[in-house]
Amino acid sequence: MREQSKYLEGVDKKDLFASGHRACGGCGQALAARLVADAAGENTIACVATGCLEVFSSPYPDPSWRIPFLHSLFENAAAVASGVDAAYKALKKGPVNIIAQGGDGSTADIGFQSISGMLERGHNVLYICYDNEAYMNTGVQRSSFTPYGARTTTTPTGNTTRKKNMPMLAADHGIPYVATATVDDFRDLQVKIRKALTIEGPKYVHILAPCPLGWGHHGELTVEICRLAKDTGLFPVYEIIDGKVTNVRKIPVKVPVEEYLKPQGRFKHLFKKGVPSKEVDEIQEIANQNIERFNL
Amino acid sequence: MDKLPLGLALDLRKVVPYETGSWRTLMPVNIMQTPPCNHACPAGNDIRGFLRVLAEKKDYEEAWHVLSRTNPLPATCGRVCPHPCEDGCNRRDFDSPVAINSAERAVGDYGLEENLEHKKLIAHRKEKVAVIGSGPAGLSCAFHLAKRGFQVKIFEAYGEPGGMMRYGIPSYRLPNYVLRQELENIWKLGIDLECNIKVGVNIPMDQLIQAYDSIFVGIGAQTGLTIDIPGQDAGNVFSGVEFLREVNSGKYVDVGKDVVVIGGGNTAMDCARVAKRLGANVSVVYRRTRVEMPAITAEIDEAMEERVMFRYHTNPVKIIQDDDKVVGILSVQMELKEPDASGRARPVPIPGSESVIPADTVILATGQAVDYDGIEVHKRDNKWIAADENLMTSIDRVFAGGDAVLGLETVSAAIGQGTRAASAIEDYIDGGVESRLSSPPVIHSKDLNTYYYNKKRRFQKEALPIHMRLKHFKELYPALDPEAIIDESERCFSCGLCYNCGNCYMYCPDNAVKISPKTGLYEFDLDFCKGCGLCAKECPCRYIQMTLEK
Amino acid sequence: MLKQIEGSHAVAHVVAQCRPHVISAYPITPQTHIVEELADIVGAGQLDAEFVNVESEFSAASVVLGASAAGARAYTATSSQGLLLMSEVIYCIAGMRLPIVLTCANRAISAPLSIWNDQQDSMAVRDAGWIQLHAEDNQEASDLHIQAFKIAEQTFLPVMVCMDGFILTHAFEPVDIPEQKEVDDFLPAFKPRHIVDPRWPRGIGLFADPRFYMETRYILHRALEKSEDTIKEVSSEFAKAFGRESGGFIKTYKLEEAEVVVISMGSVVGTIKELIDQLEEKGKKVGLLQICSYRPFPRKEVYNALKDKMNIVVLEKCISLGRGGILASDIRWSFPRAEKKDRNISSFVAGLGGRNISIDDLRYMVEKVEKEPVEFEFLGLREELIAEKDM
Repeated sequence: MREQSKYLEGVDKKDLFASGHRACGGCGQALAARLVADAAGENTIACVATGCLEVFSSPYPDPSWRIPFLHSLFENAAAVASGVDAAYKALKKGPVNIIAQGGDGSTADIGFQSISGMLERGHNVLYICYDNEAYMNTGVQRSSFTPYGARTTTTPTGNTTRKKNMPMLAADHGIPYVATATVDDFRDLQVKIRKALTIEGPKYVHILAPCPLGWGHHGELTVEICRLAKDTGLFPVYEIIDGKVTNVRKIPVKVPVEEYLKPQGRFKHLFKKGVPSKEVDEIQEIANQNIERFNL
Repeated sequence: MDKLPLGLALDLRKVVPYETGSWRTLMPVNIMQTPPCNHACPAGNDIRGFLRVLAEKKDYEEAWHVLSRTNPLPATCGRVCPHPCEDGCNRRDFDSPVAINSAERAVGDYGLEENLEHKKLIAHRKEKVAVIGSGPAGLSCAFHLAKRGFQVKIFEAYGEPGGMMRYGIPSYRLPNYVLRQELENIWKLGIDLECNIKVGVNIPMDQLIQAYDSIFVGIGAQTGLTIDIPGQDAGNVFSGVEFLREVNSGKYVDVGKDVVVIGGGNTAMDCARVAKRLGANVSVVYRRTRVEMPAITAEIDEAMEERVMFRYHTNPVKIIQDDDKVVGILSVQMELKEPDASGRARPVPIPGSESVIPADTVILATGQAVDYDGIEVHKRDNKWIAADENLMTSIDRVFAGGDAVLGLETVSAAIGQGTRAASAIEDYIDGGVESRLSSPPVIHSKDLNTYYYNKKRRFQKEALPIHMRLKHFKELYPALDPEAIIDESERCFSCGLCYNCGNCYMYCPDNAVKISPKTGLYEFDLDFCKGCGLCAKECPCRYIQMTLEK
Repeated sequence: MLKQIEGSHAVAHVVAQCRPHVISAYPITPQTHIVEELADIVGAGQLDAEFVNVESEFSAASVVLGASAAGARAYTATSSQGLLLMSEVIYCIAGMRLPIVLTCANRAISAPLSIWNDQQDSMAVRDAGWIQLHAEDNQEASDLHIQAFKIAEQTFLPVMVCMDGFILTHAFEPVDIPEQKEVDDFLPAFKPRHIVDPRWPRGIGLFADPRFYMETRYILHRALEKSEDTIKEVSSEFAKAFGRESGGFIKTYKLEEAEVVVISMGSVVGTIKELIDQLEEKGKKVGLLQICSYRPFPRKEVYNALKDKMNIVVLEKCISLGRGGILASDIRWSFPRAEKKDRNISSFVAGLGGRNISIDDLRYMVEKVEKEPVEFEFLGLREELIAEKDM
């Protein structure tokens, strides 16, 4: 009998988000959801927005959740979680971890108001955004998290706007804890979840969750793509504690954005016969600005 | 609570998970592959195996047993092996190879300190095998046969066992006590040893052929070859092997003030450095340049550190004598022309460049050959004994290996030959060839996902300072720190074998990698695996690969 | 204890007596006085509840959804656009069988913007799976809230109590506010059926594929039908406990002898009763059938009460644009087609956007249907403002 891997010390694997879900092979969001559920533990209520995660994980009668799961609509996970929080306070129950979770559409677009309300009111709720940069459940339509240049079914020639900076918007509500994370660094992700849950009040954690289908990469590349997103500077990983950006992940060796873009079908049109178009320069500029801004 | 309404709420403890395994077209499998270190080791050592035991369990005892499964002389090899394993190490392309040789020495030394003993696999067999020569080839052959229960007797021509390890390798590289202890440990397997018996001289070969079920000839290359140079019959002119044997036998050799060593191989380096320790000024005379020298780089470096003079592009023409005593060498400068048949640049004398190098002793380290005295039956056109792929000679039941067959090779290569010969002999005696599994493919650094490995400085063994080296024959490299070696073992990539990093287990989006309750190892739950390949991609050591669904 | 009190405040006090754990609301006229008063009550420590000030009605409904799913008794109030903004959640709450109580201070719907009363808002969500009770006056509005929590928590169906905006919400009338103990005796503590609680992990709000969805809707429909019994029982229990009739399915006024029956719901029935009395003095036999429970619809009661009545007129403050009277449709549906083909059911829409319904308007209506049935008519239109070209 082999001992528990020393590489997994301090990492939680309880399968509270269990096998049997209908996500595509290599789904970053499914992976993220399990890492989150396992870090949060059994004493947790998951309030989930409509979206890929909800659809692939909660079909009656065989959902994947093994912690209490509550879903009603696309745009109200944060408000529903507020209600659960209010109920627990009023009923003098708990303590319990209340986690509202949604994709980028339900976070940045349709549910933006509801999240803002939850954050501003100071509920003891952790909001998690699984950012896969488009509306994947409905067939890869553009969201306000869709990055510049990316092709979606509603931006067939490439998205012309930059990604909304949700972590900063969340932090500007004056909440005690904001963090970004990616699925490749599961330890960091789980540390942030556990840390967030020790803090009273509203918390926001933004997790980059690659979508093999929507991003047009093979499922086996999900983790690698995350790494490239970080090492190019396109997805800065940091915490904001009491309004201060801290614990910024330094890029060990900076990688040109081309390496991140090339394995993904959604950026394929930016390379005509392998030659990068001017949009690639623009994307590199975005990465450079991140590197400068966060001192990556 | 009432029965929950249909579709609205569900008791999550009673969910029967939906099986997604049917979505799969590719399937992950665990494939143990051959690491390049194991592949490169002439002795066939499980290098990854013993390094992993050190890294994961910090268990020197188990590591010693892993190593001594194939190699009866880890403490010796850990000192003298030129470690081709390190040349193969995939870490070479990442930062620098794992210091396997040092790790081997540390494990071997631990075995000696703790008096660890080899384990017999089969207690007793009645068949008898004679082994001629107790060098690494013969010892290895005897060791493996004795472990399998055979009655083994070794015939050794010299006074003490060990062959070149005893008489050819200077004790600052391999202290005598190390070899002696390792040998004693081997004898514990019940091997009979008779020294001062030269087969073919003291006892006829035919007698052995009749008395034994099989014979292994591992007599090495004990005869020094000389070059055609006038004056080599003078006193104080030695062949390399002869010189080293004299010194290693404990005889006092008066080398005088100036020693000239002719040759560029490992024996030449050993002779030069020994002569240096005997207090002489030493010059190595070599026809070509350092680049062409066949000696191991480290040996040349160390000789240079010890202030051995190197005279390149220099060819001896004549040994100058005064009253039967050497006084110098007449040499000529060479220049290199187009390559010869060996592929090395062809040295051609420069007319009028002759000069005299003063010398009290001249050592001709210019080659070795098999001593066929009494066993001329084995002599063929080639200077080495001919053996087939199973190491059987042209004479039935007689096998041969080591330098006698390979030509000048390493201790490890000889051990590997002995191991192979032992298997072949067992097969021969059992009357059939046991099918042996062919090794899985070798894993290369491009196959690995090195993201998960951290750059880490290679362990560096510390040599004695120069001023302390030359006064005596003390071991050049003092004992190694066992903790530092454990640290070093953690640098091993574990190419091609799970090292329990947990990536597959953590990254599977379908939780389809489980820990087997029986073995504690990771296993795939094919009821849920969708075949995305993430586990294989993120497996650092390529133990997981995707294959077509059966 | 009888008190001269604004309708909204009466409702707020009664709701507070029902001890909701979570109240969440967003301001919209004319609902505001209810939640302001509740905020005061909570703020004064008279009610131990979480009052969640949200950023929209949508979130108000979502908060009470979450709270109810976590086992809390939850309450919200809204009007008009607020209810429409909630509508997505409104459907969800019913589908998830969460026993939430909502007060709809009935108000017109934009555009054009109008803050004044009609019943188009609650009508817009009539098919969402909620029980809808309509109050005639502020006493009934108050009483219905006590009943609403009990009905909701027995049936696991949400209940919407509708009261006409301004006409009731802002009207000062004497209302008998019960003692806390009376309410406590009448309304047991909430025992939730399925909640999110880590001790018993449940999945609530799962998605249903075509193998299951139809059955969930069938079950919800049947649950609403079955709630008829509960609504009636709770109404009669209330009468027993508090000594006055409130709620139930339908109420009638001088119906037995009536030759013309007016059907309506909400506060307008007061004016109708006044007209009936006036006409009675002139020897005309007019009666009233008042719909109290609009959903589930009291089809059997309506049929039984009106099976011998041949001249019926439906007056309502709402419209299905392009179709006509909504309540009228429900009434027409209450009679089997084969039966008494000469029965006349007239349909009038009145009082949209706060237009006053005068007793003269009503008299005109009754007199008109006495002569001939009216398929559909807007009552009290200012014809001078209407031009053909605008249509």
